[in-house]
Amino acid sequence: MDTERFAVLYDRYSTKVFQKCVGMTRDRELAKDLTHDIFLKAFLNLAKFDHRSKFGTWLYSITYNYCLDTLRKAKRHREEDIDERTESDTPADEGNEAQLLGMQAEQLDHVLQCIDPTDRAVLLMKYEDELSLKDMMDALSVSESAVKMRLMRARERALAMYTELYPDEP
Amino acid sequence: MSDNPFKLIRSTDQPPETLRKEVMSSVKFAMLLMRFAQLFVADLSVAIFDKVRRSGDDKPTTRDNPPSPHGS
Repeated sequence: MDTERFAVLYDRYSTKVFQKCVGMTRDRELAKDLTHDIFLKAFLNLAKFDHRSKFGTWLYSITYNYCLDTLRKAKRHREEDIDERTESDTPADEGNEAQLLGMQAEQLDHVLQCIDPTDRAVLLMKYEDELSLKDMMDALSVSESAVKMRLMRARERALAMYTELYPDEP
Repeated sequence: MSDNPFKLIRSTDQPPETLRKEVMSSVKFAMLLMRFAQLFVADLSVAIFDKVRRSGDDKPTTRDNPPSPHGS
């Protein structure tokens, strides 16, 4: 692909990629560097794009993974063992989802700033971008049960952080 | 869902204007490096092929030395 055609892709997707990077990192300067690297990575891997998914989905998968890798390296994040036993979709977890979506926007913003980047990423994928389970599986390269488990744990930890930050709230 | 607080806190920041120029400059540089690398890789593969290939002016072919039916 020539650079002029790639510039068209940049113009079409750069705002959304940049905004995702800001959402994931909460740091505009870092988001700028990440956006640069993500487009460079996309250019160098264009041959691997197999057109089975939309280009945007493929690019956002690179975005999520690159942001997560960078944040993990920065925080020397230890990848947790994923318990493949799925316990999501239980009544208790549905209650957690309702509580999460019932937060005030400012409170949620505060909670997301304080939780682990991995938890933040899966919550943004699910509730901000409304990715399907399959798209999340593709983006994170994990099984369906692992996605469900990550979501359930992220919700639990977000609610625990909410309780810690706002002990007087219901 | 309009009440979804995740939608309310979504970033609306625009990427800096300078970023486009920086990305395209890096992409052009990467493309230059790829073409440069391809030049050597192409020559190298031709050279290796010449050394390893079975057919050719001065190489015996498998037709000249057919494999034994018992594999020895």
